[in-house]
Amino acid sequence: MHIMEGFLPLQWCIIWWIVALPCILLGMYQLKKVLAADREALPLLGVTGGFIFILSSLKLPSVTGSSSHPTGTGLSIISFGPWITCVVCAIVLLFQALFLAHGGLSVLGANIVSMGIVGPIVGYAVYRLLRDTPVNIYLTVFLVTAFADMFTYITTSLELALAYPAETGGVASSFILFLGIFAVTQIPLAIIEGFVLALVFKYIVALKPDILIRLNIFSKEKINAARNEAS
Amino acid sequence: MKFRYTLEVLTIIAIVVFSVIFLYTSSTMSGTKFTGTDTAGSQGIAELSGTPLENFQPLIPQWKPPGTEIESCLFALQAAIGGIIVGVVFGFWIGSGKKA
Repeated sequence: MHIMEGFLPLQWCIIWWIVALPCILLGMYQLKKVLAADREALPLLGVTGGFIFILSSLKLPSVTGSSSHPTGTGLSIISFGPWITCVVCAIVLLFQALFLAHGGLSVLGANIVSMGIVGPIVGYAVYRLLRDTPVNIYLTVFLVTAFADMFTYITTSLELALAYPAETGGVASSFILFLGIFAVTQIPLAIIEGFVLALVFKYIVALKPDILIRLNIFSKEKINAARNEAS
Repeated sequence: MKFRYTLEVLTIIAIVVFSVIFLYTSSTMSGTKFTGTDTAGSQGIAELSGTPLENFQPLIPQWKPPGTEIESCLFALQAAIGGIIVGVVFGFWIGSGKKA
């Protein structure tokens, strides 16, 4: 989903930075508040952030003849919401821009908006929709992860379409072209990522259910039901 | 008796199914290079704008890994950073669970 350095006109780089910056600041403020309220949230933050580091470093081949990165944001979205996830994504994307030439500093704002803001907001909406329903928590994690991943790539497609509208068909035509490149490749990867993060969440439920209840991520009844299923 | 590993089995099935489809697709596309979506996206931009790829220059100067091996090494380093953090926390949780 990385837009490469130099591939976005300057005005669009500035616009996406203007969108990204307040979200990063809000995320930093929320992070400070969460950690001040409960220091035991720190290891959970480590695990959820760690998975963003791991999964976004993998370049996986897809079935479309192309390869792409998972985002790994699902666990962080569920545990800490979209704004704190935005901060972790900004760190990962900065690392990749500085040391891997994936993305870049001028396009960092655009990449943060897709991976750290829009994807997590959509994922969080899915989570809030399903949290208080009888839907199984692992299915919830699966759907949150898959939707966040897909919408990251849909947003990248939109960002590029806005910057490079086609001569015939304009933004819509470009958007379809970029969706074909980014989003279609991502479908199988988003499904696998959903399964993997649901599995990781199962181990978190088994090892540290109290922190999930304390942070009100899922109700005590749902966590206990999930633990009983697994034991 | 209740089966405890449904999620594990489903994950393995998903990975195997997509791996088989990937292997089939790649075998039917002989000669084509398995490019990343980032590169394919950049090529799409070049086509749409009518500007050759080499004309897109970084707005902010950027360090590039000197080779694909170094790039892979740095990607592995990124994964390792995440893996170490996850490993330490899971170890801490398991350890504190046993202690309790």
